[in-house]
Amino acid sequence: MNEKVVAMLLAGGQGSRLKSLTYDIAKPAIPYGGKYRIIDFPLSNCTNSGISTVGVLTQYQPHALHRYIGLGTPWDLDRHQGGVTMLPPYAEIDGIKWYAGTASAIYQNINFLTSCEPDYVVILSGDHIYKMDYEKLVEYHKEKQADVTVSVLEVPWEEASRFGIVNTDEDMNIVEFDEKPEKPKSNLASMGVYVFDWEKLERYLEEDNNIEESTHDFGKDILPKMLKDQQKMVAYPFKGYWKDVGTVDSLWEANMDLLDPSAGLVLHDPAWRIYSSNPQLPPQVITKTGRVQGSMVNEGCVISGTVKHSVIFQNVLVEKEAVVEDSVVMSGTKIGQGAHLSRVIVPPDVTVPENYRLLEPAAGITLLTQDLIDSGKESGQQ
Amino acid sequence: MTLMAAVDASVKVAGLQDLTIHRSVSSIPFAGRYRLIDFALSNLVNADINSVGIFASQPFGSLIDHIGVGKSWDLDRRKEGLFFLPTTHQNGGIATVGSFRDFEEHLQFFEKSRQTHVVVTSSFVAGQLDYKEMLAHHLASGKDITEAVGASGSLKSYILSRRLMLELIRSYREKRILSVEDLVNLKKAPYSYGVYEYKGYFAIIDSIQQYFKESLGLLDENNRRLLFLPQAPIYTKVKDEPPTRYLDGSNVSNSMMANGSTILGNVKNSIISRAVTIGINASLDSCIIMQKCTIEENCELAYVIADKDVYIEKGVKLIGTADRPIVLRKGERVTKEDSQ
Repeated sequence: MNEKVVAMLLAGGQGSRLKSLTYDIAKPAIPYGGKYRIIDFPLSNCTNSGISTVGVLTQYQPHALHRYIGLGTPWDLDRHQGGVTMLPPYAEIDGIKWYAGTASAIYQNINFLTSCEPDYVVILSGDHIYKMDYEKLVEYHKEKQADVTVSVLEVPWEEASRFGIVNTDEDMNIVEFDEKPEKPKSNLASMGVYVFDWEKLERYLEEDNNIEESTHDFGKDILPKMLKDQQKMVAYPFKGYWKDVGTVDSLWEANMDLLDPSAGLVLHDPAWRIYSSNPQLPPQVITKTGRVQGSMVNEGCVISGTVKHSVIFQNVLVEKEAVVEDSVVMSGTKIGQGAHLSRVIVPPDVTVPENYRLLEPAAGITLLTQDLIDSGKESGQQ
Repeated sequence: MTLMAAVDASVKVAGLQDLTIHRSVSSIPFAGRYRLIDFALSNLVNADINSVGIFASQPFGSLIDHIGVGKSWDLDRRKEGLFFLPTTHQNGGIATVGSFRDFEEHLQFFEKSRQTHVVVTSSFVAGQLDYKEMLAHHLASGKDITEAVGASGSLKSYILSRRLMLELIRSYREKRILSVEDLVNLKKAPYSYGVYEYKGYFAIIDSIQQYFKESLGLLDENNRRLLFLPQAPIYTKVKDEPPTRYLDGSNVSNSMMANGSTILGNVKNSIISRAVTIGINASLDSCIIMQKCTIEENCELAYVIADKDVYIEKGVKLIGTADRPIVLRKGERVTKEDSQ
């Protein structure tokens, strides 16, 4: 790319439906896939797409995220020119400006963007799991001579009313936005990934800031306004795996998708690596009594029990006669001898006692926290 | 009293030729995700030693690729840090550790240092040597040179003062000694020699048999516990491999597995490195499989060491013995016809 592309990654989300998993970390910092955090996906997409200037906008519980991203080394974003810049809210003479909406988060960092001198700005969300070549997206934007391009994904019709739906003409020009429509006219959902011509973005952010009743949101305010003003807006049809993990159940599903080749998310892909901070741990060991089937296991684990159809993060111990099935076990957790876990997400550093089992498994997925175990309500000795 | 270190990565180890055609002994893969030199370097940095010279002879491409600027060991420092010090020896240096001729070629490394003492160590021993403790022992003993010795022999690691090191580099020719190891073995006057007793785990990799035995020895939990200490991690160059996948129908037991592999077949009593593929119905027993190897379906392998990028086509049967494991060289391709 000759022209300069800057990515702005919105990573301030709380993700309150993920319960205690996001008690002290922002949603993009949630562990996923045995060794990653969700934000590794958009960051790695930037690296693999040749975007080397990335602003990361943080607000809710930013410390873990700031420490995790650091200088951006795992993603080759530790650069003299560009690289990664962490952008938390800051104070000015007239007060601290919290990020009220997605657009206000970008607006408040307009000085950062101006200093980058971009031609195009790609707006990304830090809490989506997908592999996408943003270079192709920007090429499409240029070809279509659009003012803004919205990346869209075909979703099942029955689910369309859960998404922001984009209605287009046959040339993929956007004619209407339909936020969570009761009767969707299309099944093209916005992925929250946008490319803007910088000049247009700057103008509309300035205008939006002066509108008092605005919620300062891209989907609700900026894009509808641009549409009203007859700016050229096109939809970019993305094909591939994409998941917004908003709940414990969907986080579990996204992990299980890694075990299902037909789900379409392949991590064993040298051509499109997902980069992550790598802890220095010895290889995993499957002992004489260990058995692992249909699962992913990370470094530092010692498996002496049975693991079936599960995703196991680094440094997990599964003791003899313990069974873990259809579950996600995060780093540093120890599963005691004879324990039996099914359809659970175990957060990091939990100790599951010997012979522990869920008495009345919930219909959905149980987040098996240390508090839940210690309260004893769900456990039964057998 | 403070330490600097000279790591001998040029020493010639005759028994490892099959694994050292394209690399030095120091960069032989070990324990699934490490190179032999990782253990020496990690022991050094875990003792807060951050002035480390690596003395290397050709072929050292693989070693340079692995070490880089030393970032994985936190040795990418403004002050001191990692020094890569190539020697003019071809095809391996001398057979003992700590060649004075090599040190002489880089005399400035020792002259310019601000440290008081020098660790001289090999790069083919895997262990958890605590150099802080060894230095304290050395100082208390009042000896000139201290050697670390474990239950089954020398760890080929030594501590001496920098002053003595400089004196030896200037006088080794007239003293008719080749290396620090040579000096300690000959116990040349007028120096005094002490021993630091090392009680932990260590593995000396100086032959294929040793390599095979010590690699599989890590399947013993007692050895692993002593080598992989949470408070003293073994650092290596990081790769961004995803977790290893065990597919339905695979069967893995008593094995050490690095990341990035895809396992469809049966593996027991083996060490599997990063990004290895093992096909359906393949059976591996007591094998060491290095990075990026592919073992196709229906292979039967026992007592095999496969170096990096080995490709074994389907149906191949290779059965070695513990004393004479079959060694497949880097990049080799084995077909069913070859193995019959």
